Amino acid sequence: MKAYRILAVAERVLRQLWHDRRVLGFMLFLPAVAMLLFGYSFSGDITDVRVAFVDEDDTDLTASILESLQEDEAFEIAVLETVDDPERLLLDAGYQAVIRIPDKFTSLYYAHFAMGVATSAQGTIDLTLDESDPQIASTIKMGLADAIMDLGEGGPVEIDTRQLYGVEVRFIDSFAPAIMGLVVALLSTVLTLLSIVREKVDGTFSRVWVSPVRRAEFILGYVIALGLVALAQSLVVLAIGIGVFDIVINGSIAWAFACVILFAVGSVGLGTLLSALAQTESQAIVFFPLVVLPSVLLSGMMWPIQAIPRLLRPLSYVVPLTYSNRLLRAVMVKGLEPWQEPVGFAGVLVFVVLTILLSSFVLRQSAGERE
Amino acid sequence: MAEPSVVFRADELTKTFGTLRAVDRLSLSIETGEIYGLVGPSGAGKTTLIRMLSGLTTPNAGTVTLLGAPMPAGRRAVEHRFSYMPQERAVYRDLSVTENLLFFGRLYAMSRARIRERTRELLELMRLEGHGKQRADRLSGGEKQRLSLACALLHEPDALLLDEPTIGLDPALRREFWDHFHELNGRGRTILLSTHYLQEAEWCGRVGLIQRGRLIAEGTPGALRREAAQRSGREPPDMEEVFLILTGASVAGGAS
Repeated sequence: MKAYRILAVAERVLRQLWHDRRVLGFMLFLPAVAMLLFGYSFSGDITDVRVAFVDEDDTDLTASILESLQEDEAFEIAVLETVDDPERLLLDAGYQAVIRIPDKFTSLYYAHFAMGVATSAQGTIDLTLDESDPQIASTIKMGLADAIMDLGEGGPVEIDTRQLYGVEVRFIDSFAPAIMGLVVALLSTVLTLLSIVREKVDGTFSRVWVSPVRRAEFILGYVIALGLVALAQSLVVLAIGIGVFDIVINGSIAWAFACVILFAVGSVGLGTLLSALAQTESQAIVFFPLVVLPSVLLSGMMWPIQAIPRLLRPLSYVVPLTYSNRLLRAVMVKGLEPWQEPVGFAGVLVFVVLTILLSSFVLRQSAGERE
Repeated sequence: MAEPSVVFRADELTKTFGTLRAVDRLSLSIETGEIYGLVGPSGAGKTTLIRMLSGLTTPNAGTVTLLGAPMPAGRRAVEHRFSYMPQERAVYRDLSVTENLLFFGRLYAMSRARIRERTRELLELMRLEGHGKQRADRLSGGEKQRLSLACALLHEPDALLLDEPTIGLDPALRREFWDHFHELNGRGRTILLSTHYLQEAEWCGRVGLIQRGRLIAEGTPGALRREAAQRSGREPPDMEEVFLILTGASVAGGAS
């Protein structure tokens, strides 16, 4: 193993990227766009849900429910005097829910407190809800439940919440690590794959293999070059995350970069592995969705793995990004050291070792055998 | 160390791809200082043979030695002393001319200063002066081919395996390439090249006619000419005729 040959390969890959301004632009543009696009469209904060509020009881208690609802940014509350047919209101006026507090709500509410379970008396709120969008519907239900909890009269059960790690974590904060992983994985895999397939097509691959360079040196050269690229991409994602979305990083940025680069190494290995299966650039392009789709859909990036049907869940654990998400979230959001998230850390390490070993094996195969 | 007199040797070499016998029990031996031309139609097995000689492709049967080292197992011992120019214009299209040379030079442990020096020499030799900073994909076909040859010559190898080095070149450029080959040969380099331009066979020291993976005739151009004349009973006007007579005779001979 000679350092000068590793560096020669790394320098060459970087020079090639430097010359291809479109690819270079794409490399830095994609993380920026991904972060902005995902950041804005999946910020997870639902706002401006139109809710009609009808208070037929009109007491201090009901007024404070209204106040809580109005403070909730998710809702745009319209206070109506009366309502005959809540369903019509949903259909015609475009409300997503009608909350009606009937007459005598307050007295029944206090009666329940006074007499406890001995009475069937209980304050009731009518909620007419458009369930066609489950996310909005559950936001409304939760918002209303929160408003009632806020009454502070002490319900039958009080939940004493101890929030760990993600104090004030918003969706975007836990999303940034996923975007970093996705962008780095995607581009490292794709750039390696295309670059090696191109070497095969152009014949430079043969020339490289009769030269003194070793397979391991060749792969390490790619790893160094694309590791640097991954670092630049992570910087772009973080800069936008912090600058535009004001994301919170609770952990060490140095660890975050170390983990991203580790993940990039595995992705270079994966790209090398896939290159063995493609003889032309158009064949290589077929692999892109194969890398992107499972990563986006199954890795727990957009929604938790628990939201994936049980039948498909084992697949999640085959997707490398699943582990990188766990690892990067642990490091960036929870502020842990990498090994304090053993599953994510081990998963990424296994990914790296496996792909690098296998790719060094397949390079031998694809270097020699062809028509 | 005494120079082994045999540079390339193949013994009973066979390579199959599926049911295709690309190279079929082929033996040849090329000595130091020779220019040896493999001549034959496309698909005859020339490229596969050259790739086996370079250690890139492993034969199914038979043995290869290059500069005395068994290939591919012993290629580490000789990898600095030979070079292979693939049939494709194997240069990095998104690198400049000098960057291509820089990369290959670094792989062969040449210092940057030495690479600069050799680059100057080779660009002049290949008439690529002024193209140093140009990206390879902006070069013409002939220029790219010259860059590809320059990459093969950069580290001053003793033995050269050139696969169709003159393919697609205009006649004047082909002559120029051959001038380079003879000049290199004059400096003791051993060259094995393939071509399907039969006229080029005349310019080789020795020629091997290859057809369907087998070496069907071998010798100096003059000897092949005489053999063809003997078989056909008339003086063949050019190498093309020689080739037709010898391959035709081989088919007839195989049938009887």
